[in-house]
Amino acid sequence: MSGVVAPWRASRAPRARRTLAGLTFILPNFIGFAVLTLWPVLVLFYMAFTKWNIFGGSEWVGLDNFARLVGDRSFHKALFNTLYYSALHIPLTLVASLGLALLLNTKLRGMAFFRTVAFFPYITSIVAVAVVWNMLFSPDVGFINQGLRAIGIADPPGWTTSTDWSMPAVIIVGTWREAGYYMLIFLAGLQTVPKELYEAALTDGANTWQRFVHVTLPCIRPTTFFVMVILTIQSLKVFDLVLVMTNGGPGQSTLVLSQFIYNKGFIDNEFGYGSSAAVVLFVIALGATIFQYLANRRTVEL
Amino acid sequence: MSAAPTGFQSAMKRLAPGAPARPSVSLVARLLSYLALIAAAMAILIPFVWMVVSSLKRTNDVFTVPIQWIPNPVQWSNYEDIFAKAEMVTWIQNTLILSAVVAFLQVLTGSLAAYGFSKGRFPGRRVLFLAYVGTIAVPWQAYMIPQFILFSQLHIANTLWSIIALQAFGAFGVFLMKTFYDTIPNELIEAARIDGLGEFGIYRHIMLPLSIPAIASLGLLMFVTTWNDYLGPLLYLRDPSIWTIQVGLQSFVGQYDTEYALIMTGAVLSVLPVAIIFALGQRYFIEGIATTGIKG
Amino acid sequence: MYMKNRTKWGTGLAVAACLVLTGCSSTAVTPTPATPEPGATATPTPVPEPVHLKMAAWLLDSTPEFKTLTDAFHEANPYITIDLVEYKAGNDYDTQMIADLAAGSAPDLYILKNLRNFFTYQDGGQLMDVSDVAAEYGGNTKGLSNYQVDGKTYAIPYRQDSWYLFYDKDMFDKAGVAYPDGKWTWDDYAAAADKLQKAIGGGDVYGAYMHRWQSCVQGFANAQAPGADILSGNFDYMKPYYDRVLAMQDSGVQVSFNTSSTNSLTYQSQFGKQKAAMLIMGSWYVAAYLAQVGTGDADKFNWGIAPVPQLDSSTFDNPVTFGDPTAIGINPAIDSKKTDAAKKFLAFIAGQEAAIALAGIGITPAYFDDAVTSTYFALEGVPKDALSQFTFGTHDTKPENPVSSKTAKVQGILGDMHTAIMSESTSVDDAIAEAESRFANEVTD
Repeated sequence: MSGVVAPWRASRAPRARRTLAGLTFILPNFIGFAVLTLWPVLVLFYMAFTKWNIFGGSEWVGLDNFARLVGDRSFHKALFNTLYYSALHIPLTLVASLGLALLLNTKLRGMAFFRTVAFFPYITSIVAVAVVWNMLFSPDVGFINQGLRAIGIADPPGWTTSTDWSMPAVIIVGTWREAGYYMLIFLAGLQTVPKELYEAALTDGANTWQRFVHVTLPCIRPTTFFVMVILTIQSLKVFDLVLVMTNGGPGQSTLVLSQFIYNKGFIDNEFGYGSSAAVVLFVIALGATIFQYLANRRTVEL
Repeated sequence: MSAAPTGFQSAMKRLAPGAPARPSVSLVARLLSYLALIAAAMAILIPFVWMVVSSLKRTNDVFTVPIQWIPNPVQWSNYEDIFAKAEMVTWIQNTLILSAVVAFLQVLTGSLAAYGFSKGRFPGRRVLFLAYVGTIAVPWQAYMIPQFILFSQLHIANTLWSIIALQAFGAFGVFLMKTFYDTIPNELIEAARIDGLGEFGIYRHIMLPLSIPAIASLGLLMFVTTWNDYLGPLLYLRDPSIWTIQVGLQSFVGQYDTEYALIMTGAVLSVLPVAIIFALGQRYFIEGIATTGIKG
Repeated sequence: MYMKNRTKWGTGLAVAACLVLTGCSSTAVTPTPATPEPGATATPTPVPEPVHLKMAAWLLDSTPEFKTLTDAFHEANPYITIDLVEYKAGNDYDTQMIADLAAGSAPDLYILKNLRNFFTYQDGGQLMDVSDVAAEYGGNTKGLSNYQVDGKTYAIPYRQDSWYLFYDKDMFDKAGVAYPDGKWTWDDYAAAADKLQKAIGGGDVYGAYMHRWQSCVQGFANAQAPGADILSGNFDYMKPYYDRVLAMQDSGVQVSFNTSSTNSLTYQSQFGKQKAAMLIMGSWYVAAYLAQVGTGDADKFNWGIAPVPQLDSSTFDNPVTFGDPTAIGINPAIDSKKTDAAKKFLAFIAGQEAAIALAGIGITPAYFDDAVTSTYFALEGVPKDALSQFTFGTHDTKPENPVSSKTAKVQGILGDMHTAIMSESTSVDDAIAEAESRFANEVTD
């Protein structure tokens, strides 16, 4: 295909053209982003250094909010719970979604059905999801504990009614729900793997596992990086699921940072303090992202 | 071993993928794996089954101990009522418009921006991109009020534009598309430039066709996210004429009473369009990256 | 109301009478003003400009109380029209309201659904001082003092809910247990639940049902226990209340908190479908239950209301219960030309006329007198026995939430304590100790 000639093609030096092109392409998205999202985020960062009850003006307090966070035990709990959730949710979801993608990446009949089914948890109303899983997890009459008792576990966990088991329950549901979402991204990534590499590996005598490790994994590294970054950020930010499933309870056993921030703002009316917690969350997530970015760079030529 | 596909040539020879050629599996193994898949599918669908069952019950029968899997009496009228008692059609319309527009805009602006970040070369590219991704890391509840005040001043609050403004210019789409564009070899693009293709032409005739699964995924994910979004419409869509499904269903949650059965009816209806779109669009997710005939 | 006005319009005499007697202009109803009768133009009172106010309210289709109020007011003051703006119910109401007030797009009047959030709005300067309106009200209007801060009143209550003991007479008869006599202590209540359970309990039927909200236990502890004050940071007084409830839960006379929460049981279905013979719940349930009987969602059976169990016999004559009032406040950003009309509305909502209108749809108003009681009990389906009437008319209702900057935070801490105790994840003593230490750590200023 020849033919489409950009107006500036012959008239500019390649480097300048690429710079200009780069910037022009970015502009539509960036302008919308800067005005509509970036600006409020910057306001938020400013608010973290103030005392603001949202209705009036804000009062600058410098680092007081952050100092208060250091001594706030509920904040520590929220931070711990969030990291606990992320530490388990991330690997579980990664493995589940990649596994699903590999499994369902064929054109066999019926696979379309299974792919749709895998995606169902994500498109179902989160309220229904929370309600049903709570029922399944019901310690006395729920299906899961009945099953556990049937296989001999005499004292099954209390799940969402127990301060020890509520977070694992939420993690299980979170993985169940999001596996389909990331599966979709992995599916797209798997399409970029050239078929002849598989053929070449087969000719070399590689078995399924070896093909996976030496062909698939390296080829989908960018996708895996993407999923890891987004999954990490979303895990650190988890809110909706916890809110409808356990509302931070029982006690504070499932209180996560996002809910802490929300409560401080909308219930305690301390938006400045809530903002400072949001900044901490941001720093952690950004740090994790940068770490992953650097780790990824070392093994890939960008 | 280098990660990215090496040759220009091999890249262009991408055929319709699928599973790599497998040695034939025994019938028993295949049957077993189908059975396993079906069992897993049933497990996954339990909440949806519960939703359907509840949508056919009276409100006070929805939550009982023990749970009744067969509604008695079966309340088919719920499906009538939800259209009669509530503006379900309006809600579906609004949700459809919003989801489609947001998905389209995200794909469009996101893929454009991703091209700029991926193949453009300008100073500060990496830092800017990191800043982009960084904003994903801020929880929305934290800045939703400053954003609401901004949108109110821009006079887009309480209009459908607010949701579009909220979702269509996010960093997620840029990041996703850039990931895929990074896998398209630069030699391909150089060759196209030598051929006389301008930047926009490269974008349109090379980048886009080679990333159809990514576009399909991004489009669908944004569609679903907007479809199921509750907090955004709660804040921004106040007038009943612009309610979306999720916000509309909340009107069954009363101060002292909640019509759970109708909420479930609405939830079931809400899932169907998305499931249908996903089922029909399957081939785009695993369709081959179309060869465009660019000469090699 | 509108129909009535139009008929008035049809008869010129009535128009003249209206102009002379109430000094109101009929131009509020139709756009073309009528030519007044000769002689009517000599009226001394000036014809007021029609005023349109906007009021925030929720779920207009299923919550008739707001329209009842605004319609009743409009009938008395035809030149003032109040348009209702629909918001969501529950916690979402506050989320939306806060956002709107912050952005300056909130309506002229808005509902304050409980005292917990009243402080937020008042302290944030989002409520106009209406002390002049409050001064006009007399002793029949309860709950005004709750909205006083530093000697000024910032909102006017129109509705005061109280918690009652609802009981199913048919189930009591079947079990051969005597009805509540209005003189029960908590021990009497537990004993009755026990007898009921033994006689008719089993399967999914229980002697009593207790809902999962923290107020179901703490509301009574705060209202009845001596020395109870959530702002003190000392919560020991709640222990006996929790011990009693846990005992009832463990002995199986009521559904356990865990089963109730994981299966999302609703009190409407538990009592309304006769799965529990007793239910302690707020007065709003009366109207809700009757509505559900009407749609077939609840069973029709003989029932009654009794005063909630007391700590001891000393309060039988004026039973102590709790409940937050619901009030309406004025947005200080209101156009100053409309302030008078808005204040007129507030001067109406806690008076007798409004109260009778509300009682007519099953709402417990803030204003109480015999006329109100008889209106309420004239409603179809409301139990008319003497004890029910006593329960309705005689009670010492303490507010659920004291008005203070600390209330929201403390209630948050106590809510976590409640779920920890009721789920039996933590012992009562440990949970109370944890709550007290959190109070010391987090409830500053």
